[in-house]
Formats: sequence, structure tokens, C-alpha cells
Amino acid sequence: MILRLSALALMGTLLASTAFAGERGPPTAECPQGVLTLSLLKPLNNPPQPYTVKMWEERNKCMKLDISEVPFAQLADKIAVLAASGSPPDLVQYDGPYTQSYAAAGILLPLDQYFPPGLKEDITRPTLEEHSFEGKIYSPGTQQTSLALFYNADMLAPLGINPPHELDKVWTWAQAIDAMKKCQKGEGDNVSVWGLAPSRFGAGTPGFVYRDLLFVRSHGDPKAPEDSGLYKAYWGLSRDGRTATGWINSPESIEGAQFFSSMFNVHKITPKAGIPNAFQDRKACFTIDVSYFVSGLTNNNPGFKWGVTPLPYVRSPVVHTGSLTIGVFAKSKHPAEAAKFAIDVSTGEYAEEYIRRSRGIPVLKSLAAKLDEFKQYPLNIFVEQIDRYGHPRPPSPNFAQYDKIVTDALRDIAYGSDPKTRLDQAARQAQPILRRN
Amino acid sequence: MNTIEKIWHWAAVGCFVGPFLIMLALFQYFPVYEMLRDSLYDFSLLNLAKRQFVGLENYRAIIDDPDRIQAFYVTFMFAVGVVVTVIPVSFSIALYLNGRLPMRAIVRTVVFLPVVTSVVVIATMFTFLYDPNNGLVNSALGTIGLTRLQFHTNKHQALPAVIAMMVWQQTGFATVLFLSGLQGIPKDLEDAARVDGCSPLQRIRFIVIPLLMRTTVFVVVIMTVFSLQVFAPALVLTGGGPEGTTNFVAYDIYQLAFYLQMPGLASAVSVVFMAVVLAISLIQMRVLRVKETQA
Repeated sequence: MILRLSALALMGTLLASTAFAGERGPPTAECPQGVLTLSLLKPLNNPPQPYTVKMWEERNKCMKLDISEVPFAQLADKIAVLAASGSPPDLVQYDGPYTQSYAAAGILLPLDQYFPPGLKEDITRPTLEEHSFEGKIYSPGTQQTSLALFYNADMLAPLGINPPHELDKVWTWAQAIDAMKKCQKGEGDNVSVWGLAPSRFGAGTPGFVYRDLLFVRSHGDPKAPEDSGLYKAYWGLSRDGRTATGWINSPESIEGAQFFSSMFNVHKITPKAGIPNAFQDRKACFTIDVSYFVSGLTNNNPGFKWGVTPLPYVRSPVVHTGSLTIGVFAKSKHPAEAAKFAIDVSTGEYAEEYIRRSRGIPVLKSLAAKLDEFKQYPLNIFVEQIDRYGHPRPPSPNFAQYDKIVTDALRDIAYGSDPKTRLDQAARQAQPILRRN
Repeated sequence: MNTIEKIWHWAAVGCFVGPFLIMLALFQYFPVYEMLRDSLYDFSLLNLAKRQFVGLENYRAIIDDPDRIQAFYVTFMFAVGVVVTVIPVSFSIALYLNGRLPMRAIVRTVVFLPVVTSVVVIATMFTFLYDPNNGLVNSALGTIGLTRLQFHTNKHQALPAVIAMMVWQQTGFATVLFLSGLQGIPKDLEDAARVDGCSPLQRIRFIVIPLLMRTTVFVVVIMTVFSLQVFAPALVLTGGGPEGTTNFVAYDIYQLAFYLQMPGLASAVSVVFMAVVLAISLIQMRVLRVKETQA
């Protein structure tokens, strides 16, 4: 008993020192109910940016934000710990694909009742799909992302290679690999310029679901019969997010994984280990990246001409969506005020200002229509891909676990593991976890 | 001692020992109790309210799951690899340092320096050293005409690569222990052997090694425990891969609890691992006692 009390006292002290709950200050002439401080947890160097917060506080004199930041890699762990505590923050900027996990665990507050009329209809389909769970919406979304293929035009021009800029003329992966092979300089241990840059996503190793599951999904077909391997390969996980067996390891999924493996082990057009800034340093002819990369290349001229072409496909074109987004903790003592902040900074002038600066893809159709930049090359490629064939990473209340298991499997396949054996293992590992409530 | 003195005596004892006992109970025994209890439940850290009693189901899952068995296997292979490499290497260096050969001070510093360096720093450093494209090790191999190795992407090379890293780090500590043992051997014994015509190798075989048995067993125990606790190389260098060949138990527990949201299973693995490590330690202590008796 004494031990328990001591432990509780200590834990109480520790939790009190990291308490996040919003506080209301003493009444003032301008704010008769006192100034309310909302607490927000967000990853470092990510939205909402200081200019957004400043603008919002100026317009809402009786509310202000108390922001805590953690490195992105620690965000999910921090949210899990705070969810278990009695005093989580009011607001959290989290990774969109985790919406279902957090909603199923009761961590996030559904925001339907706080949405102004017309907002839900204004949100693009993949974002709405990603941020919803059991018919309720948990975040409006700050921005959207998709991947495209960037190329070094100076390296390709002498070879007579001109990648398409239109979705209707999108390359197949066979065409892309042919171009990558022609552009690559050296082979075996002596490659000076790779066809395709290594992945910079996740841990910097191959396999990250956001990028590399697309090689598998593209071997599927969403129009095929629902019990076919083609259909299951395209979705990667049953539509209710509860079954991996037969989906991630369907024959067509295995075929996709074999193709993914061949890029490293047969064609050898991309390295297994990371090379920082391979594309910018002219150590790779092509790289797969998001729309922010356009900003990076525009603002920091790499010293060569570059271009963007839609992401190649095998049977079906597909890109993953998903980005950081803002939600309200279900345990917030000020849900209405927190929801107001989440919705305000995701819409109107706040969203417009952020999108103009970041070149992230708008989640609101009205905003995308307003900004000419997203109707023109190269950013139009990202917007059109999302609109035509963008999908969230396979939604599930246990997405985080699926993500980890499949990422590890694809990493091993890139390193040379047998695709069938490794995907069967991934399905076996994921299945009992996906079945949990 | 009268009653008041006894009270003061025990009060003083309580003041000195009490804080330590409370801390010990709070941070050692209470977590062990919690771990034992959690191992009987299935739950997620995201929602502690959904906690389901499953009895010994988590323990059955360990036996049935080849991934858990593999984690135990690679951890023990790692420990064996480290111990059988560190012992002869550190013993040889200690012999060198115990002699009157040149540059002893520099060699001693160089050998011991990795011991005081963080494992995370060392693992990060080896990530660069082992890099297949620009790593120093592969550049050296290339210079002498050998094929580049895929240290952390090849399932046959990853574990030996991590063992080599750990050996590099731990050799200094084992060397210091052996050196202190060597310096404790009476000089006259070696002198007598020399007079009797023993060669240097015979002196090592018949005098040094038997007299260093206690030190050797101590080094084996320490290196085994260090090796079984291995975590950072998997986190920083290999991510537990490829194909789980560096998925050490401590890393597996971390992955199960925080990434796969199965803290109940992670607790069960911890309990089993604790029992196994305890058994190994007891066996080694028994061996130590036998050797002590023989000595």
C-alpha cells in the first residue's frame, strides 16, 4: 500500500510537471471571462507556424496558445503517453494516417458538430477518407501530399529522354526503369550516378510504406472483382482495416514486391543504403519526392535544370496521400475553443497563407481553385494525381502497427529477401494485431 | 543499549538506509511487479481502459511465435560471438600491456577509449564506417581489390558486423580486467618457471591461464550480461533487420511495446528473458565458485 501510494505520489508529481490542460486567466476589461490558454503539442518545424498562431491570437484576443514541440520521430510515442495521462493538451498536430488509430482509442474528439456548413463538402476526397472513422470526421486537414518523379533534365537531355508532364501520358515503370538504366553511370561497386535516388523517407532505408508500398499497390486493380488478388493488391489491406492475410500477400502483391526487389537486386538502378541529397548532388538522375521538394529546389538552386513527371505505374496508377494535421484531444476541457482553433487555422486566410508559403497541396477544393500555382506545371501534377488516383495509406484502427510491419518487410525485400516468404510473414505478424479492438 | 538508544539506533539506520530502500522498491521491485502483472493482460498504451485479462496467453504466444524465438536465438548467438572473440583478443592485448614493450601507454589509451564512449555514438559511427557506398571499411576493401560488403543489408553479414562493433567497444574493459589479474600473479612463479626452462608459451599455458581463471570467469559473466542487454546497435545500425537477424530481445521488447502496441506481450517476453538471464548468471556464478574452490 505504501509502495503504491509512493508510486502514485511520484507519478502525480511527474505528470503535474508535464501537465498540458488549458487554463483560464483572471478576468480583464477586454476579456470578462479571462484569457483562455489552449495547449498545443506539435512536431518541431511543422505547422501551425508562428505567423499563423500570431495572426489567430490577434483576432481572438481572449485566447492564446501554449505550444510544446517534440521531434517528429518522438511524436507518436509522446501522444501515446499523454493519452494515458489525465492531462493531455487541448490540441495536437499529428500524422493524418493515424486518425483511425487515435479515433478508435478515444484519443481524438470528433469535430462534426463544430464544422461550419459546407466545410465537409469542400474537403478533397482522400483527405476526408483519411480523417474519418465510423462516419465521423476528426480533422479538417492542413495540407495534402503526394509523390511524383523528379528528374535531372541536364542529364536526360543528351540521352534524348523527355519525361511526360501530363497524367494522360504517364510512364509505366518499365519505361521509367529503361530511362534510369540509360542515365545511370557505372555499375557494381563503381556507380557514380544512380538511376534512382534512395528513399529519404522514414528511417532513410528502403521500404517506407508511404513511398514503397506504391510499387505493390500499382500491381493491383481497383476495378477488378473484390475477391480477386488484383483488387486486394491494390488496397493492400481489407477495406475495414482488419485483414492483411490474402491482401498484402496476394499473388499480385507478391508480384509487385518482386518488381520492387528487382530495382535493387536485378536492374540495380537504386542503392540499398541511403545517400543524403543524392539528387541535389547529381548522384542520381531521378528521385521520388513530394511537392515541398519543388520549393526546396526553387529556393536553393541545385545548379542544373530539373523537372517533374507523374509517378509511373504498372497496372494501375496510384499515389498515397496523407500529411500532418490538427486534431482536438477528447479529454480537452475546452473542446469548443480548441475545435475553433483547429478549424480556423485549417481554413480561410490562415490556410491560404500557409499553402502559399509552403507549397503544400491544399485540402480545400475552394483554395486549390483560387491558387493559380496549383493549376500550373509542376504543382498541377501533384494536385491532379491526388484528385484522380490519390488514396490514403491503407486505413485501419491499427494502421501504425501495419505500417511498421509492412515497412520492415519491404525493407528486407529490397535487401534481397524472398518476396513471398517475407510478405507471408508480414501478414502473419499483422493479422492478430489488426484483429484487436 | 537501552530502549531509547535502540530507537535512535534504528532511526539512524532508517535515515541512512530508508531512502535507498524506498528508491529500490519504487524503481526496481515495483516495476518488476507491474511487469509480471501486465504480462497477464492484453492492452494498448493508446487506451489503457481496454485491458483484457488473458492469463498465460502471452507466454504461449512467445513459444508459438517464430519471431520471438528468433529474437532469443540471435541474442544468444550475439552473446556467444562477443564472448568468444573478446576473451582471446583482450587477453592477448593484456599480455602485451603487461610486458615491457614500447608504446604501452598509447595502446592502453586507444584500447580503453571506446569503453567510455556512448554505445549510441559508436553505433552511429559504425553506420558511417559500414556504409556500402562511402564507408571507410568498404573503401579499404576496395583499395586492396576485394568486393564491397553489405554489412547492414545482408542477412549473413549483419550479425557479425554488430558483433565486431561490440567487440571493438568492449575489448578495452576486458583488457583492463585481465591486466589487473596479470599484475596480481606473483613474479617469483614465472621466474621459477623460467629457471626450469619453460618457454613463454608454456608459462602462459601452465601458469598464467590457470591463475587467471577467476578473472576469466568474471570477464565471461560481465561480457555475457553486457551482450544480452544489447539494444542500441539494433536501433541505430540495423533496425533489427535484415529478416530479424539483429532483432535482439531488448529491441524486440521495445518494438512490441511501443510500435506494435502490445505491452502485455512485451512484458511477458521481459519476464521470460529475465528468468533466462538469471539462470545463466546462476550457472556462471556456480562455475565461478567451483573454480574458486579448485584454486
